[in-house]
Amino acid sequence: MAMLAEQKKRTVRINGCVASAQAAKYADVDVIAAYPIRPYTATMMALAQMVANGELDAEYIVADSEHSQLSIAHGAASSGARVFTGSSGVGVQFAYELYSPISGSRMPVQMMIADRTLDPPGDFGSEHTDALSTRDMGWIMGWSCDAQEAFDNHLIAYRIGEDPRVLLPQMVCQDGFFVSHITGDVELPDTGQVNEFLPPYKHPYPLDPRHPVSHGPQIMPEQGPPLQLERARAMEESMAVIEQAHDEFAKIFGRRYDPWVEEFMTDDAEVVFFLQGAHAVTARFAIQHMRDRGLKVGMARLRTIRPYPTDRVKEVLSKFKVVGVIETNMGLGSVSSGGSLYAEVCAALYESQKRPLVLSFMAGMGGEAIVLKEFYWMTEKMLDAQRRGKIEKRTHWVGFEE
Amino acid sequence: MSTKNTHIPEWLTVPFAGITPAPTQEKGQDLFPTGNWRSIRPVYRDKLPPCNNACGTNEKIQGYLDLVKRGKYLDAYALIKEDMPFPSVTGRVCYHPCEQACNRGKYDEAISIRAVERFLGDLGQTLTNDVVKPGKSNGKKVAVVGSGPAGHSAAYQLARLGYTVTILEKSPKAGGLNRGGIPDWVLPQNVLDREIERLEQLGVTIKTSVEVGKDVTWDDLKKNYDACVLAVGLTEPNTVRAEGENKNGVLYGLPFLRDIGMGTSKVKLGARVAVIGGGNTAIDCAREALRQGAVEVTMITVEGNPKEMPASPEDLHDMLEEGVELMHGRAVTAVLGNGKVEACQLHKARFSGAINASPITVDRDASSEHFAVDNIIIAIGQHASLNWLPAEFKNERGTIKMDKFGRLGDTNFFAAGDIAQVGSGQPLMVVNAVGDGKRVAFNLDKVMRGEKLQPRTIPVDVIFDLNRMNMTYFPHFPRVQQEMLPTKTRTKTQDEVIHAFTEEQAVEEANRCFSCGTCNACDNCYLVCPEPCIARPERSNGMYKILVDYCKGCRVCIEECPTGCLEGVPELDFDTGVVRMDTAFAISPGLHGRQAEELRNLGDRAAKNI
Repeated sequence: MAMLAEQKKRTVRINGCVASAQAAKYADVDVIAAYPIRPYTATMMALAQMVANGELDAEYIVADSEHSQLSIAHGAASSGARVFTGSSGVGVQFAYELYSPISGSRMPVQMMIADRTLDPPGDFGSEHTDALSTRDMGWIMGWSCDAQEAFDNHLIAYRIGEDPRVLLPQMVCQDGFFVSHITGDVELPDTGQVNEFLPPYKHPYPLDPRHPVSHGPQIMPEQGPPLQLERARAMEESMAVIEQAHDEFAKIFGRRYDPWVEEFMTDDAEVVFFLQGAHAVTARFAIQHMRDRGLKVGMARLRTIRPYPTDRVKEVLSKFKVVGVIETNMGLGSVSSGGSLYAEVCAALYESQKRPLVLSFMAGMGGEAIVLKEFYWMTEKMLDAQRRGKIEKRTHWVGFEE
Repeated sequence: MSTKNTHIPEWLTVPFAGITPAPTQEKGQDLFPTGNWRSIRPVYRDKLPPCNNACGTNEKIQGYLDLVKRGKYLDAYALIKEDMPFPSVTGRVCYHPCEQACNRGKYDEAISIRAVERFLGDLGQTLTNDVVKPGKSNGKKVAVVGSGPAGHSAAYQLARLGYTVTILEKSPKAGGLNRGGIPDWVLPQNVLDREIERLEQLGVTIKTSVEVGKDVTWDDLKKNYDACVLAVGLTEPNTVRAEGENKNGVLYGLPFLRDIGMGTSKVKLGARVAVIGGGNTAIDCAREALRQGAVEVTMITVEGNPKEMPASPEDLHDMLEEGVELMHGRAVTAVLGNGKVEACQLHKARFSGAINASPITVDRDASSEHFAVDNIIIAIGQHASLNWLPAEFKNERGTIKMDKFGRLGDTNFFAAGDIAQVGSGQPLMVVNAVGDGKRVAFNLDKVMRGEKLQPRTIPVDVIFDLNRMNMTYFPHFPRVQQEMLPTKTRTKTQDEVIHAFTEEQAVEEANRCFSCGTCNACDNCYLVCPEPCIARPERSNGMYKILVDYCKGCRVCIEECPTGCLEGVPELDFDTGVVRMDTAFAISPGLHGRQAEELRNLGDRAAKNI
């Protein structure tokens, strides 16, 4: 591993894509597997420049497809490298075959995702379905809502994934365009802080001709279940590591994130939005407006969806009367016949003694912004349900109903 | 049923399930106010072109070349006149430090700026009424002593500022060094006459044959004027301090030229003439000597080679072309002859050091040579005659004591030009004196208005580096050469040696200008912007506008700006025109912006209804 040139703390105004590239640089990655697709492409553009300029000493490999890209990432990680890759939309889907093998062989590959709506037809806008569809493949997964958080999440995710108690790949997601393209002020740390937080990665059994080992051979049926059990155990036990990593991050960098759920104006809230990612920024703005008018609205933002913090979600959401889940993803024919987040929320609340009413909002689809008007409209629906004590309609298509 | 009671608005209705029409470009930009993607903002920031910076009076050279390109000659002439009262003079005589500094010189050949200046100056000469008008009178009277470049410039600027100016000139004709130090074949008298006429048209009174210290005293100046600019120049020639220097046939450079210029010369030169000195005046003397009938002219310098000579290389070249011989590394130690010059005695000598502080080492122990001549013209600089100056304003070296603004103590007396530059080590050139006169005029005006004199503190960004421009836009083009009189015949006349540019030549040459670091309204940014993010309300410098709501900061315009005036400035440096994410979809132009009012009302409605 080459050493990164020393840098002092400074603030820059960059978009999410560049923030991710900067994070990969500060993590001093060894191998970058690239294949372009909007909107994440700018991350790889920025990294290519860094490698070309000599800012970052890494192998930059351009694949011929996302499938190859993830295969390269898998192989490079097997040889002990810290690997960075990424994709968007249908690109995420094209690499699907590799997700289980990578987590199954316990390779802490990191993948940056700038969400893009799945076809049809070509739509560049953000929708979480691309990454969410891989949510059960054994990857640590969560969404950032702005460029600074994206930068931070990359460093935190490497620290979690490479922990010997975990050894799992991570998907660090950000909404395409809303985070990936909109600039925000990002504090780039002192290299010393990063060195303290993120020690060099060392795989215990890398592929090495001098010390032969087997990675991912064909196995007998009875050998499968123990591997699955171990992978499940790693995912479960990562929860403690995740909390520890966030504590440590706050101590070193001075920014504290709740690893699971960010609560915004929830102290006395009666109705809350539950969502992931960038629309939280607009939600905060809308909530402040509504608070000025005396409405008891709040927001709970899920920061990590895998491993899913069932107990924490239950604990947080049980405090409220109505929960409005903003999906930003497609779960066609799913529990709510809307998005897939609803099912996760309801399942967590099932054992609660105080179950709030849960609504599912199909909003922010296809890269559409969720404008203030729509937050007001959704709040109206939630307050209506609160008044009636029941829901009239489980799932609303925001913008297509009166 | 999640889809119960939903309906698709008409404008989004699809013709057939799964088939969607492509969005229009218009709607596309409305939907995305993409300005918030930007981390670098293109900003038009004009730099100072090196020519403007190098010019002794900081003429807006790039500006007038740009106007010449567009055929706006009168505007160009007016622009030049802001800093330079007589472009027809400097267009002929200037040593053009602008051309030495010209960035194009590093690329192929420097722009022939002086020739374009002369083109504009000559145009000005033909106007019935000059474009420059006197300022509104402020009732204050200023005396300017001396009508050379510095005095002329100071009087000109003061008249423009509204002062009533009187020039006191020692000689019978105004013009000072312009008149007496520059031969006719460089600057014809009628050209200078016209410029002095222009000065009088501005309301400046010129009193000739009035010498300060003799006809006018210091106290007279103090009593009769509110302020005074002393620009008397250096009038007394330096001597070589050689034995026999007082012999008949020994002449001094400036008086030699001055007498010819004033038409009062009685000199008849012999066939062999030696010119002592290696500067511009020495060159003018040598070339004038040929025109005055000398056959063999030899220039004797202490400098060891032509490069060390403090002279304009072009003039040196033209002089050698006319047949003047050079003799280097020698000093005159005696003038020999019986009552009249017959020869000069030369010793080997070495020159080391800068102008005006030049230690010359003469090797008197070595054997001397005798060089037979009929006349010797000594042109090794001159010094001031300051007998009339009160002692309190003289320093130990006998030069004027003043502050860096040219002011004598806390009086309303200012010094400009050669007398003020004595000891500065800088070559004393017309354009520097003009600049000095201009600055002193402005300083004087400030003092008269009770303002404090302060040195400039704003840093100037002079663009020297070709990498800051996009050179792919500039094809190589040779410099347009000024035609000259044939070498063989030119020494037989007093006709101008260098010819003026034609209009076509002036435009062709101006077209070669890079406009270093300055917006010249070339439209390139407007054309290369991949999206319509640059507005062009008017084709005029600096009038382009970056639409910050949409500009993504892709840098294409910055990279493609030929002159380097467009800069990428980090978005962090701005607090206006920035659409941040938390408000991006609430308050911004485009579709969502148009809904902003509606949104606010809906917020009210939501708050009331619930």
